[in-house]
Amino acid sequence: MHETHSTITKDQPFLRKEDLRLITGHGKFSADWYYEGMLHAYMIRSPYAHANIISTDFSDALSAPGVVKVITFADIEAANFKGIPTGTTAQNPDGSSQIVAVMPVLAKDKVLFVGQPIAMVIADTLENANNAAELAQIDYDMLDAVIDYPSATAPGASQLHPIAAQNRSIHYQNGDHAAVDLAFSKAKYISHMNVKSQRLIGNPMEPRAVVANYDKNLDLVQIHLPTQGILGMHAFLSHITGLNADKIQILTEDVGGSFGIRSGAYSESALAILATKLLNRPIKWVGSRSEIILSDWHGRALELNGSIAFDEQQHILAIRFADQIDLGAYNCYFGSFIGTRNISITMGGVYKVPALAMRSELYYTNSVPVSAYRGAGRPDIAYAIERLIDHAASEHGFDKVALRKKNFIQKEDFPYKNAVGTTIDSGDFIRVMDRALELSHYHTFETRRAESAKNGKLRGLGLATFIESSAAGNVAKDQVTGNFTAQGELHLFGVTGSSGQGHETSFTQIAATMLGMPNEKIKYFAGLPNKNLIGNGTGGSRTLYGAGSAVKNLCTQIIAMSKSHASSALGIGEADLSFTDGSWHNLDHSKQITLSALLVPLLTQADQLASFNLTGEAQSGSTYPNGCHIAEIEVDPLTGQTQIISYTAVDDTGVVISPKLVEGQIHGGVVQGIGQAFYERTVYDTSGQLLTGSFMDYALPKIGCITNFICDHIEVPTTSNLLGSKGVGESGCSGSLPAFANAMVDALRIKGITSIDMPYTPARVWQLINEV
Amino acid sequence: MNITINGASHNLPDNSNLLLVDLLRDHLHLTGTHVGCDTSQCGGCTVQMNGTAIKSCTILAMQAQDCEITTIEGISKDGLHPVQEAFSVEHGLQCGFCTPGMIISTMQLLKDHPNPTDEQIIEGLSGNICRCTGYVNIIAAVKSAAKKIQGI
Repeated sequence: MHETHSTITKDQPFLRKEDLRLITGHGKFSADWYYEGMLHAYMIRSPYAHANIISTDFSDALSAPGVVKVITFADIEAANFKGIPTGTTAQNPDGSSQIVAVMPVLAKDKVLFVGQPIAMVIADTLENANNAAELAQIDYDMLDAVIDYPSATAPGASQLHPIAAQNRSIHYQNGDHAAVDLAFSKAKYISHMNVKSQRLIGNPMEPRAVVANYDKNLDLVQIHLPTQGILGMHAFLSHITGLNADKIQILTEDVGGSFGIRSGAYSESALAILATKLLNRPIKWVGSRSEIILSDWHGRALELNGSIAFDEQQHILAIRFADQIDLGAYNCYFGSFIGTRNISITMGGVYKVPALAMRSELYYTNSVPVSAYRGAGRPDIAYAIERLIDHAASEHGFDKVALRKKNFIQKEDFPYKNAVGTTIDSGDFIRVMDRALELSHYHTFETRRAESAKNGKLRGLGLATFIESSAAGNVAKDQVTGNFTAQGELHLFGVTGSSGQGHETSFTQIAATMLGMPNEKIKYFAGLPNKNLIGNGTGGSRTLYGAGSAVKNLCTQIIAMSKSHASSALGIGEADLSFTDGSWHNLDHSKQITLSALLVPLLTQADQLASFNLTGEAQSGSTYPNGCHIAEIEVDPLTGQTQIISYTAVDDTGVVISPKLVEGQIHGGVVQGIGQAFYERTVYDTSGQLLTGSFMDYALPKIGCITNFICDHIEVPTTSNLLGSKGVGESGCSGSLPAFANAMVDALRIKGITSIDMPYTPARVWQLINEV
Repeated sequence: MNITINGASHNLPDNSNLLLVDLLRDHLHLTGTHVGCDTSQCGGCTVQMNGTAIKSCTILAMQAQDCEITTIEGISKDGLHPVQEAFSVEHGLQCGFCTPGMIISTMQLLKDHPNPTDEQIIEGLSGNICRCTGYVNIIAAVKSAAKKIQGI
């Protein structure tokens, strides 16, 4: 076991370095930037899901009080802006690529979803901009909207893009279909399961905002916006605007949540850059919650149809999927990777499955484009696999624990290459599961079920053993640079910034542990533009082990650099020196000096100090966080109301660096899973109007949705990064969707129910019970 | 129009449709008070008016005339309030955007119920939404703050 270090000391009563500013109201989020002479922007958006724009007339808006400019497609065209970058493209094994429909920054002659940006009104006050937008005259010719798979792919369906017949972007496939067909033909037991992972809206609590400020003398746009990584965002903004990298400077301090949807660039940011350059004034746009719901990329929106085949001894022979993936109106950022790569690479889950194959159809609808949201396909496939295996156990009378254990990839099988070519390096699934069974009091569940039944309640227990692939990263390596100040502080600089993860705490903790320095003497600074570092942003649950490994490498270099100084200071040859717990010492520890003490005389010598200006870097591969989550719930059949009795999460996230922060990630991920399972639903009507357009209609989980939460860890280190840590940010979603789904079915099976779609609202549950 | 904000008296121009939250943020740059929604659901804008927690997005600035408003920046003159400290120690915040509102609502909750039950905590913070923490550690923070305030 590794050592853990709490950052709480008597002098500093904070768990995290970020906390002081955030609990005192001194955090700085994007909308918190104010500049002298700043203008305010308001977006005009499409009120229709599918329409041709016949004509536009902004003259009344332009002459309204306080209005300075209305930016339209003509301005975008004059500035030679490109569309919104699509990020990733799916390819088939035969080399054929998907059709890619690029979203324009502003609509020209056609709108494809409600909320699509058409123009930006800029005025001296937000109120004036808002009022002027009311005066815009836009004539639309409305077209039929397609809002789901049947309406989008039907013969003669209203088509969004001329290049995409029947609104299909790609028929994607992965795996060996012939081998799977053969396995199914020989199977003794077969089961099928359909799961719908409904469209969700990420809704970070900080609404998206942008403040852009052009310095004409430097010909430089400084921009503040929530982002998951300045390098990626910088590249996207450069791509859209055509501005060289050195003409845009991103300065982001605090970010109020991200969850995947803040990696890519949005129209408003590109428009703010154009506006500040055209007007030579600072520009601010802050989305209202309703606008965010209409314009932040949505998440999930997948339907997965799985089949599983077993032999006589209940060994899995094959798993097959046929999936339908709603892309929304355009290909945006990560959208195409979700329903292709991400739902196929771990489609065998934690099981040894000799044959795997999947097909998916990616199609367009008149809705907000879909991109990554916490898990980006991984929770969806985990949900589908674990429903499938639970359903098979129930259908064929197998014990759900024994069936899983029998089919697990066993400890001695690692590294294990699954049938679609993904190599999973490590795991100990039986140990993880046994711990979860123990902590959840699994073996006495039937007694509790009987107790509930006496009170007229239906109790259910759902377990899920899941695995996901956390990211290797888009950029080949992560760099972190460090320097010592004359006051003896170590300052670390990296690319990745936090949107709640606690980078400043975890990275400094890694350095403090390695160097034996007091934590308060180490600081982490994110995303400073003049550092010219490369590295990844947050995404795919990779930042801790990505940038964290670079911090470790940096510390290794600092220790190596200090060796000759230690040798001189102690009068001992380098060959006889060792570094332990922050000190250089000889073999019997009779002579030793701490690194901090060693640095003291060097701090006054600038050249000596500069020799410690080092850059750490590391290449980190994918990791395979996994876990066993067990949910226990109780349904009141009279009201359809479900209560979460307890939730047990046992995770293997490899080596845990900051236990409390890791626990926080699990809590947050699981409760976003509770959101999907019990509350959240994005509803479009048949004309493509979004009916869940505010927090009045789109229900987020609230306090009290869960109170009994048990978290534990089994640490199986990975060798794919220097820390041995695996990802954790998305595990909570991957574990909780199937755990709650299995729990609901377990509770309702007595009523003849074998499947139920999320969210399990009281109305839906009551209706299902009373229909059967 | 006169409003006392964090102990300082401000003479402000009358503006009949200015929300209190916009006065705090846009005019006084007290940006610890946050706007997370447009329907009074999220609680990010919670401040104290004459010592009672209110949502500053839901009243006009002129309704606060001659009142004392306390924002997150002003809740503790010496060091930190125990509620602030408890949110950090119990890891009741991640991104921190909802935190100022959560802290002010918790202060109100502990004023109403110095030793709250789970149900009272849930009711007291039902008007505040957090997307990061899953609330489990927020409940722990409230309980920890209650103990500290009572000297337990």
